[in-house]
Amino acid sequence: MELTPHVQEKLHAGHKLTAVVEAGLVQDFIKNTRVVALIEVASTNVKQGGEQALLIFLTARVPVHSAIDLSIEQVLPVDTNLKCEIDTSSLDVDTDVLVNITSGKVRLLFEMPFSQRTNAFVSEILRAAEVVSKRRGPPPEFAWLQPYQKSSTPSQDPASPGSAPTTAETLDGLGGDAVSLGDVSVDISQNLPSTYPDPANCNTENSSVHTENERSPDLGVNRHSIATGLSPTPIAARESHIRYQMAMREDAYTDIQEFTVFVGTWNVNGRSPTVGLAEWLAVDAEPPDVYAIGFQELDLNTEAFLFNNSPKEQEWLNAVLNGIHPKTKYRKVRLVRLVGMMLIVLVQEKHLAYVRNCAIDTVGTGIMNKMGNKGAVSVRLDLHNTSICFVNAHLAAHQEELERRNEDHDCIFQRTCFHLNITSNSPPKTIKDHEHIYFLGDMNYRINPCDMNIREVASSGEFKLLLQHEQLSQQKNAKRIFHKFKEGNILFKPTFKYDVDSDEWDSSEKARQPAWCDRILWYGDSITQLEYRSHPQLQISDHKPVSAIFMAGIKVVDTRRYRRIYEEVMKKLDKLENEFLPQVTIDTTEIILEPVKFYQSQTKYLTIANTGQVPVQFEFIKKLNDVSYCKPWLTIRPYSNFITPGEKCDVSLEVLVDKQTAAQLNSGVDQLYDILVLHLEGGKDLFITITGDYERSCFGSSINALVHMNKPFRDVPVAKLIDLESKQPKELSEMPYAVPKELWYLVDHLHSHGLQVKGLFTHPGLQKEIFEIRTCLDEGVEHQVLPGSVHSVAEALLLFIEALPEPVIPYSLYQAALDATPNFSLCKEVINKLLDYHRNVFEYLMAFLKELLNHTEDNNLDANTLAHVFGSVLIREPSAMAGSSDRRNQNQAIERKKQTFVHHFLMND
Amino acid sequence: MRHECRLLYFWFKMSAGPYNYSYIFKYIIIGDMGVGKSCLLHQFTEKKFMADCPHTIGVEFGTRIIEVAGQKIKLQIWDTAGQERFRAVTRSYYRGAAGALMVYDITRRSTYNHLSSWLTDARNLTNPNTVIFLIGNKADLDAQRDVTYDEAKQFAEENGLMFVEASAKTGENVEEAFLETAKKIYQNIQDGSLDLNAAESGVQHKPTQPGRTNLSNDSQTNRDNCSC
Repeated sequence: MELTPHVQEKLHAGHKLTAVVEAGLVQDFIKNTRVVALIEVASTNVKQGGEQALLIFLTARVPVHSAIDLSIEQVLPVDTNLKCEIDTSSLDVDTDVLVNITSGKVRLLFEMPFSQRTNAFVSEILRAAEVVSKRRGPPPEFAWLQPYQKSSTPSQDPASPGSAPTTAETLDGLGGDAVSLGDVSVDISQNLPSTYPDPANCNTENSSVHTENERSPDLGVNRHSIATGLSPTPIAARESHIRYQMAMREDAYTDIQEFTVFVGTWNVNGRSPTVGLAEWLAVDAEPPDVYAIGFQELDLNTEAFLFNNSPKEQEWLNAVLNGIHPKTKYRKVRLVRLVGMMLIVLVQEKHLAYVRNCAIDTVGTGIMNKMGNKGAVSVRLDLHNTSICFVNAHLAAHQEELERRNEDHDCIFQRTCFHLNITSNSPPKTIKDHEHIYFLGDMNYRINPCDMNIREVASSGEFKLLLQHEQLSQQKNAKRIFHKFKEGNILFKPTFKYDVDSDEWDSSEKARQPAWCDRILWYGDSITQLEYRSHPQLQISDHKPVSAIFMAGIKVVDTRRYRRIYEEVMKKLDKLENEFLPQVTIDTTEIILEPVKFYQSQTKYLTIANTGQVPVQFEFIKKLNDVSYCKPWLTIRPYSNFITPGEKCDVSLEVLVDKQTAAQLNSGVDQLYDILVLHLEGGKDLFITITGDYERSCFGSSINALVHMNKPFRDVPVAKLIDLESKQPKELSEMPYAVPKELWYLVDHLHSHGLQVKGLFTHPGLQKEIFEIRTCLDEGVEHQVLPGSVHSVAEALLLFIEALPEPVIPYSLYQAALDATPNFSLCKEVINKLLDYHRNVFEYLMAFLKELLNHTEDNNLDANTLAHVFGSVLIREPSAMAGSSDRRNQNQAIERKKQTFVHHFLMND
Repeated sequence: MRHECRLLYFWFKMSAGPYNYSYIFKYIIIGDMGVGKSCLLHQFTEKKFMADCPHTIGVEFGTRIIEVAGQKIKLQIWDTAGQERFRAVTRSYYRGAAGALMVYDITRRSTYNHLSSWLTDARNLTNPNTVIFLIGNKADLDAQRDVTYDEAKQFAEENGLMFVEASAKTGENVEEAFLETAKKIYQNIQDGSLDLNAAESGVQHKPTQPGRTNLSNDSQTNRDNCSC
């Protein structure tokens, strides 16, 4: 489906569609289709040139057929806050890619097909984000996006013909009475933060954090979308969701605890630590919880420069360990060094257990943009649940190299990248991915020339005037560097440049101007600076060390609450999973049949309604040891089917007691009772009981039983019927009939009324009349008259013979009878082996058939036809063999033999 | 039809998806009608008490992921109908159960008296390592108690069953019963007494689709071809 033209139609003049993709927005376990488009302001507009944004559209139907199907749900400007990550943790899902898009507190997880288009789309976003990260000058304001954001209200920009009707149409479609697009996104307003974060104003964002959290995605299922049935696809990334849900609920299981963080920086000018560092590191009354101590120009030797090994590393580490606060014990978390830049992070021993995911990185920005004489060394870690990053930088030197310093700054932010080995499934982190960032070092920003005597003012303590000309502050205020970072008020003398071992300004030929080269900045909520100072007592370098003390609010996990919330999340996911089990309701679990009569079918209906949230495949399944899923007198149509949510399926249950099943019911071996097991694929089973009474009939009763019944079948007690049908009946009649009286009534009727009727035994009877004949035979024939036409009586006779549980030629003699067909005397031998009543029946029937043939001129019957019709009912193959010989010509040969067998008796004798 | 297949495919993906669990344990819940089997299942999976729970006519299916010794285990729980008339059918479901929760109602002695019959079924129809856990439900109705704790405890000990009194209404001991059963099964796996390769161990080491059960070994007889 080509989306591009439809999306293009939604855009305002001058805005270009860069890429578009259809994706599943994953909220909890539900995937809803969205169309995600990357758009750009045309580059002709110089002021805003190159700004990009993501538009996320709701889709009224899938696939999208026109622009009307699309309505804007979210607008995300591509700014420095926007991140796009491929969730690598679920790459084992072979067909889809999970793409995380975050912008401030807005976090969206998309499932995109593993395709070229997705690849291109993600590449475009990443490229757009990279462009933004390299952008110079003040952050863009994205004013051009306002029309899209406004499109969520009815007051439409008249310049956008496509949008206005869209909104209205979508609203109508949902039958909503709300006046805004807000109704279209009923669920979204509950589930998704739709606030548009202002990238330029960090305070706004901070203050809105709380409300956004309250509106953040919850586990509530988007039922609306399920109801509409637009591919409510449950997805597989459960683990990813648990992490996501836990992150969203962090506030609920963490407490903010205040930690003191000591951050120090010192350019030591290649000197060795010949003095103690306590005057720098341990001047406060209480020991800090965390130390981050950065050095620059630790070693100016070529050796260090080229091969990056230096004896100074150990010297200074020892000096640090000796100089830190003596009141408590510290443990080293990480030490990282690149040439002269070294960063040591220490924590109080008691905190070490809560420090996780430590990682380091170094970035060289020196010659060829990679040598390590300038650049930064960084350490990141998670302290309890707060991610912290320390960056120790040494930027380009010299008064005039302002722009190079700015570039070094950009380069450090772009290139610093931490790979967390421990949890390999989390993506690499950049500096900005941290909640707390401390940026320290010799920034080398100077004081611009001005009409003051810098040295004099610097010595006087009137720094305010001087600071107006300070490069770093100027650049930061212009939002060129350290965007969103904070720095405390500088109340100390410039820390550069002094004559070594003195507090005198540089007296060398170069006579460098004093400058606040050594600085400490921070980023992050809940950090307060308590101290920002220099330590001029330490004189061994041409720089003075600087330190800052911070009070940092660290999120400490309350294990009990964490456990509880984790279990809550798990439980909700389990609940969802259970809700996604197939569910149906059936209109009845007890089917009660009206009295069932022989050969008279009865149909009941069962309605299976899919009341669950997923499609259901149902099937009636077999019970233990059963050969089929229901009794042979029952036919279920369909016995297996597929039902989509909200749909129903009618299942017919046809009960028919026929010649094959009647005998079992007559003899009491079987009953009209069955429990059906309705199985839902991947889910539960339902039992359906079917019960009824069978009205026993002479049809399906055996010759041996019938000859002992000298009153109407219906008048014989059931117990006696069952007894007579058993192998060794206890109660036999003293005066049995020669043949069953029912057989006699049928034959006699035909003899009296049918000898001259054309088409006898070839013309079909009427079912209704056959039922009447059956009832009449069962209840007792009055005046020897059967109801119905002779054709119906003829058919009833055949049915009667065929329904005999033991055929006239018994199963035991079946093969012998077939084998005897070449020869009449062999056939007679088979008949002689028959038990009395069976032989009586056979001879009685043959005599009747011969009588019929005596009236050939009237009834047009011939021996072949009669032999064929009667052969097939008198000689029946045992059911065990019926299945095996299913080849047609074999069957034909057998039918012919049966015919021949009977034919012998009609023609000879 | 293609559409249907696709949906089925997604369903399959979800049910057999790459959840991080190492084992699947199959449980069955058995016992007389009205002892609260479905309520126990509901309490365990949803942490809620289901008042006015209708009689189960069939076999309900529930699932939950738990953790034992740091291992994530998916429990597949089959809650069977307790009515006597379904007994023959529900016997089909015992096979392949790693755990059997046998439930009686402490306020109705008859449900306790029938335990030996349920136990016979459980022993005959499951494998020898199936963990059988006896639950005396409705412990919240102590005033109407008809079976003492000690008596049931003794029955459990004599028959080598694990035992608690629980309440599906208050949730008391419900979690414990399901989890203790899992722990015991897990322990049986660890010490090698439960052979995972045995077809009827009731434990799967890899996630597979839950519900596919043919209640008998034979392949389905297609009765649509049956002509009468």
